[in-house]
Amino acid sequence: MLLKLVNWLDERFGWRSVWEAIFLRKIPHVNWLYTLGSATLFVAILQGITGILLTMYYVPTPDHAYDSVVYITTQLPAGWFIRGLHHWGASAMVVLTVAHLLRVFFYGAYKFPREATWITGVFLLVIVIGFGFTGYLLPWDQKAYWATTVGTRIVGVAPVIGDFILRVARGGDELSAVTLARFFGTHIWVLPAALATLVLVHLYLVIRIGISAVPAKEE
Amino acid sequence: MTQSQENKLNRRDFMKTAIVSIGGLIGAAIGLPAVSYVVGPALKKNTDEWIRLGSVSKVELNTPTLFKTTIETQTGWINAEEEFSAYVLTTNGQDFNVMSNICTHLGCRVRWIPDQDGFFCPCHNGIFAKDGSVVSGPPPRPLDRFEVKVEDGVLFVKRG
Repeated sequence: MLLKLVNWLDERFGWRSVWEAIFLRKIPHVNWLYTLGSATLFVAILQGITGILLTMYYVPTPDHAYDSVVYITTQLPAGWFIRGLHHWGASAMVVLTVAHLLRVFFYGAYKFPREATWITGVFLLVIVIGFGFTGYLLPWDQKAYWATTVGTRIVGVAPVIGDFILRVARGGDELSAVTLARFFGTHIWVLPAALATLVLVHLYLVIRIGISAVPAKEE
Repeated sequence: MTQSQENKLNRRDFMKTAIVSIGGLIGAAIGLPAVSYVVGPALKKNTDEWIRLGSVSKVELNTPTLFKTTIETQTGWINAEEEFSAYVLTTNGQDFNVMSNICTHLGCRVRWIPDQDGFFCPCHNGIFAKDGSVVSGPPPRPLDRFEVKVEDGVLFVKRG
């Protein structure tokens, strides 16, 4: 009965061939370093889930941001856990992405025909760093405030257009409610949309081209 | 096929079982806290507390009198002052019937209209009598009553 239903659905959706293409594809004999990409994807999904949960209570205004974070951490059941996962997951994202990049680099896996996979990967690294930079401000505590003051100042030292970019990043001369709101919007809408799109392209390329074998010593 | 081979878990089945059970564990480790995190504030009940309404001498005989007071509330991370209102009715100056001004239909605020001798709800034309019982309209039950106490001529109600 259940099998009949599954078959009926598969006739219409064609899930089985998709499943086979993704999970039953041929791969060369590789080592544990090849799991770094999957580990990054896993943590990214975890960041998405915990991030969505945090927005249920977090409020991105100077009046309420800090208090709502304290409320999440101290008053809600498992709030410390959800926030803790998101906090440590953020560091894990950067570490894993860079480790994955180094693995691909030192194994020469970015070469033909995988250049496009590499390029999307580099953009993904930039997005991950963008997540870290915008997310750091959101608790609106002293550390967040001054880190963003310094971080946006660094942007400002670029010649000619530096001052303009600084003002765009802050939404004005100083860090303010505008800064917090635009960092939040970037963190939960712009970057996730960009990340999801690029991850799909990245994975499509990985599956279409297949992964490279560990290079032999003579190569 | 020998006996030992039949009972042996092959590599593919072992991996399947491992992935499903570890995946399930991770899912539960995130899912269960997530549910309590989302549901948490909904389980928090208002604590029972006595609210000071005002002096009993302000209550008019035989006509519902509106008492207004502000109470401190804490919702989430916000401390605020909330307005609390209730109608007080006494027929003998000794026993007090304190009624909520919240319509039992869908929660709009009812008003006592002296000329027409009834509480009127502006939302769906619910009408309650002086004692809070339903006269007409959609309300399913009479106006809610509060537990009352009088101390030194001051009226208190219990919000629960």
